[in-house]
Parts: sequence; structure tokens; C-alpha cells
Amino acid sequence: MIAQINIDYTLCKDPLSCRKCLSVCPSVVFVCGPTKVWKGRETDLSEYKIVGRYFDKCSGCGDCVKSCPTDAINLEFLLREQLAQKFREERATQLRERNV
Amino acid sequence: MCWVCEQYGNGEKWYLNPENYARRLYKVRKEGKESTGSDADPQAAGMGAGVVAELVKARISGDLVWEEEIKREALEQAYKTHFGQVVTLDEYLQILDIAYPLAKMTCGCRRVQRGMPDEENFTCMGIGPGMYKWERWPETYRGGVEFITPEEAKQWALMNHKEGRVQTVDVFGTPYIGGLCQCEYPGCVAVRNRIDYDFKFLLKGHTVAKVDREKCTGCKSCLGRCQFKALNLEVYTNKAYVDMDQCFGCGLCVTACPINAIELLDRESMPGLAENW
Repeated sequence: MIAQINIDYTLCKDPLSCRKCLSVCPSVVFVCGPTKVWKGRETDLSEYKIVGRYFDKCSGCGDCVKSCPTDAINLEFLLREQLAQKFREERATQLRERNV
Repeated sequence: MCWVCEQYGNGEKWYLNPENYARRLYKVRKEGKESTGSDADPQAAGMGAGVVAELVKARISGDLVWEEEIKREALEQAYKTHFGQVVTLDEYLQILDIAYPLAKMTCGCRRVQRGMPDEENFTCMGIGPGMYKWERWPETYRGGVEFITPEEAKQWALMNHKEGRVQTVDVFGTPYIGGLCQCEYPGCVAVRNRIDYDFKFLLKGHTVAKVDREKCTGCKSCLGRCQFKALNLEVYTNKAYVDMDQCFGCGLCVTACPINAIELLDRESMPGLAENW
């Protein structure tokens, strides 16, 4: 099965200062980056966002869920084939739109 | 010589060619929306964001054509702007004699993937005229810079090599070289994406490690040195095994061997590996 990592951004406000999930994940599944890059000033910490980028590497150990101080992380698992089907459909849509 | 050398090497390895550190290459002004205000990244969260998100989907779907298309398009862009290559310790030290100024700065990968706080994260080296800009505007470039002397830089490079970090050159606007990294799997985004998704943003180096099976005593000193999953011990023959196809030529295993049983060979001297970048 493959992880679906949902992060509630109304709860996860300052991930770069908190960084608990980034630090604890044994599979380095998470990344945290700016959603905007400004010229001439530092990106505001509130513009940083955690994403479960490498969710295909998630073992499901649950350490991130346990360590999150705001309970912002939700972990669900889908069958690989179910997810594969979803992404194949996305790709088919992408190809159709390209050929229009 | 790799394809970058052919284009930018001027007869030698491209990262030993002083022209590629030259001021005039820094910095090609961006056009369009990137020239003003903010760069929005709807995919969120730094460093190859969109590409890797798509690659993970393609991998899961099992659609190889899709995966190849993502890579081809992303790399075509990357090779024109921003990519890296593994270098040996000797080459790294030579670069420290070519490039100036040298400055320690915060590592973007360790921030993005591990949330390393700036004050603990001066683990990357920026080089060349770009560093004056980083010094001038620390609010834009998190943490600013710490300028160091070539001698300090060499000592630091030796320490990093000893501690098992892979050393790479990084391009910012091909062929301008602006960074010297000390990378590891999986904390380095470039190494991670290359090893886990075969995304060739990071090129292999110009050398390959080869075990001399006559000499190797199976002492295990080299084990754990490889960041590229190319090294293990053949337990029953009691010899180190380097997967030369997978080897990036960083030389970390070579310097760990107490009896010089691992040799660093020129990649191009081996026909079977000569085009394996």
C-alpha cells in the first residue's frame, strides 16, 4: 500500500521552526520549502509549507503523526493499484488536453 | 570527458576551467515574471518541487513513457540552468585554488529535507562573485555567508571528505559554477532524486572506483562510505564489492582503504563505463 499524507495547513503554521516531522521521519518523506520566493526580502516563515513529497517511500511507521504538536498530519493508506489507476487517469487527461 | 566538458571545458575538465567561475557569467538576468516581485510555486516547497511530485506519480502508475517524458523535459531545462556533478577530493581542492571568494553558507537541501536551523546549517560552500550578493542581502538568502580563506576551505573540505560527504560542483546558469556541496544520501535532494528516481540532475564524476580483488583483505574499512548504494562486502569471498555501473567516482571508499586496494580510474579508460554519466 502507499501512503496518502494529508497535512492540515490551518494547524501546521510554522513548520520550519517546528520541524519535528522533518527531523523524525526515518525515510525522509517530508520536504519543507517556501511557497513564494521574494526578491529583496526574506521569505516569511508563514510562507513555508510541509509536503509529504516522497510519499512513495513512507513505511507507515507513524512517527510523524505522533510527534506533530498540532495533530496536523493524517496518514492513510491506499492500495498501490488504486493509486496507480488514479494517476494513469490523470496522465490520460493530460495527454487528451495536449492533443486538443 | 563528459558532454559538459565538450561544451565548456576548453580542452580540460569543465569545472577546472577558470572561465566557468568568471564574473561575466554571473548573473544572467531573469526575464518575465521572475524579474519582479515573488516567484509563486503552487506545488509548494522548494527544490525541484513539481518535477519530483510528477515523477512519484509516474513511478506509482508504472507508466515508463510518462516517467521518461518528465525527465527529458526537466533535464533539458536543468542542463541549461542548474545541475551538479560529483568531483573527487583532489579536484575539489584544485577548485579552491581557482574560485574566489569562498564562503560557507546554509545548505538548502538540509533545510528543505530536515529543517536544519540556519545557525547549525553552514554546511554548503558558495563560491565566486555571487557570494558578495549573498553577503549584501542576507534577508533574501537565509543566514547570509561566512567568508573563509582558501586554507580554511581546504581544511574544511578534508574534514568533510574524512567524514564521508560526497563533494559536488553546482551550476547556476550553465556553465557558471557557484556552489561546492558536501552531500549525502538521502539528505541531499540531488543525490536522493538520482538514486531513488534515476533523475540525472546530478551527473556522475569522471572517475570510477575499482576493487583490486588480489589486494583486498575484507577489512571492511570502506563499508558505509558509499552514498550511492554501490558498495558492499561479499561475505563469503571476503572482498569489498563496488558496483562500477552504479559508482559515481567520488573516491570516498578509495581513501578509506588502508592498503590502497581500491583504485580510482578514469571513467573514459573503461569502454563499458565511458558514457555512463
